Amino acid sequence: MQGIVIPISMVPGNSIIHRMNPLPKLAWSLGILALAFATRNPAVLGAAFFIGLILVLVAQVGKAYLKVVMILFPISLTLITLQSIAPAFPPPWTPIVGFGPFTIYQEGIYSGISMLLRIFSMTTWAMVTIMTSHPSDIFTSLKRIGMPYSLNFILVMTLQLIPILQSEFGIVLNAQKSRAMKGTGFGAILPSMVPVFVGAIERVQQLSISLESRAFGSTGQKTSYRQVRMTFWDIALLVIGVLVTGSTTYWVIVDRTLDWSDTLVFHPVFAISLVIFATLGFLTFFVLALRQVLKA
Amino acid sequence: MTETKPLIEFKDVTFWYGSTEDQPALKNINLTIHEGDYVALLGLNGAGKTTLQLCINGVIPNSIIGEFQGEVIVDGNDTFETPVREMAKIVGMVFDNPEFQLSQMSVGEEIALGMESLGYSYPDMVKTIDEVLEIVGLTGLIDRSPFGLSGGQQQRLSIASALAMQPKILVMDEPTSNVDPIGKEEIFQVAYQLNRERNMTVIMAEHEVEVMAQYANLVVVMHEGEIVLQGTPEDVFSNVELIQNLGLRMPQVAAFGHDVEKLGLIDLGGQYPVKLDQAVETYGPLFNKKAG
Repeated sequence: MQGIVIPISMVPGNSIIHRMNPLPKLAWSLGILALAFATRNPAVLGAAFFIGLILVLVAQVGKAYLKVVMILFPISLTLITLQSIAPAFPPPWTPIVGFGPFTIYQEGIYSGISMLLRIFSMTTWAMVTIMTSHPSDIFTSLKRIGMPYSLNFILVMTLQLIPILQSEFGIVLNAQKSRAMKGTGFGAILPSMVPVFVGAIERVQQLSISLESRAFGSTGQKTSYRQVRMTFWDIALLVIGVLVTGSTTYWVIVDRTLDWSDTLVFHPVFAISLVIFATLGFLTFFVLALRQVLKA
Repeated sequence: MTETKPLIEFKDVTFWYGSTEDQPALKNINLTIHEGDYVALLGLNGAGKTTLQLCINGVIPNSIIGEFQGEVIVDGNDTFETPVREMAKIVGMVFDNPEFQLSQMSVGEEIALGMESLGYSYPDMVKTIDEVLEIVGLTGLIDRSPFGLSGGQQQRLSIASALAMQPKILVMDEPTSNVDPIGKEEIFQVAYQLNRERNMTVIMAEHEVEVMAQYANLVVVMHEGEIVLQGTPEDVFSNVELIQNLGLRMPQVAAFGHDVEKLGLIDLGGQYPVKLDQAVETYGPLFNKKAG
């Protein structure tokens, strides 16, 4: 169970992006999210991804970012394979080349590449935000702009509970092994669910009494121990972020010439190589991941 | 008991977790605790110690569903009518499992949680956090994750979180049950210092009878939801047969006195020393006589 853990957390550092208030970072990330969903143009999505990569370098979080990419990239490759033979476009589709019993379509390759770039542009910006901001700073900033206190608390608790439940899962699996029960594979995970979740319920009950005993739920004005400063530059970057991503999103929606699905023609060799690479890439990852899970 | 005003009064308290047809968790509890008392709650698991403690800050009957009869007055407040969040300013609670009480990302934020809810200003929070960290001996760990601390440190953090709201009463429910021997000693020391140096009323449910006999001035023994004995440690532990019939352990020095008296080697009049220094004073002359 401990074998596969996606390492998404803050990477300590003192880069210019680390020192920024989380709100402009969140604004940019949400803006890129909206932009990525508004367009299929590979150039626009590629540009957003490329700028995101520059930010990864500036923030010096490349190592942690690569760990995420190592998991995300092979999974995303399935999009190329699936889209190439069944595009998310209204038919008729333009065939490029036959691939065994399947046909690879022009719209499919275009859609696959777009979706891959869409995922990577969004996640790269989101990773930069998460990896350069302390979670408490993010929640404090959100609290300041009116996010309910209890919702904030739920988010903090969820982040805390994930590693705890993961470690409790490990303890239960070891206990099963020590009693000569199946301790590996999916067969062992299912019976472990009951003690882990019963324990989680007990934990939550105890925690709720403990929190109530510490005045949680008071109706008066609440304050914050965590102080997050908002400088002039943070405000400026926030405004610029909203304007730039907002206007770009508007532009990609209204400008019909940005739909390159007809104009961008893929060579059959390129198409078939891409599909083979994507399929093999995903299958290799799948086999490695399965081995890891069975070994755990 | 000390001659100060009553701080906590249980008046004919009976509580059922389910309906009144079930066995009550508390039966006709009458108990008076004074300011500055150090109260040891003794009893087997299921005796009603936790239930009694949850009545002190009003979690029972306000948050835990059940049938409640009687009255609990804490510092002039009827817990039935006062919300738990208000009682939090008077009563600090520490539970047995330290991990189950923690929720925040750093030690500082964990301690600040209650103060944030009560609307403390930032400078007040910083000052209080520094103070309580010093009291519990966790200075320098303010930015550490609570989940990365040892069991003893986590329990001391729970104490610090309770102390941050400057309560008059500290209620501790088997605070050392999940802690190693060094951690246990640290927690007992903190509770003792708070009681002696800050006149804080401490109510601790524990199985460590030696420690309780050493520190407490009031011992309350519970069995099946009832208070069967209450008084000074010397008075309570003079009821050797009853204590042993209830399945509880005597402090070793008291058990020694009782056994030696039974053999006719010494006459203590049924009052046994419960602390080590008392034992040295009582038994010392006996050994000197033998040696002489």
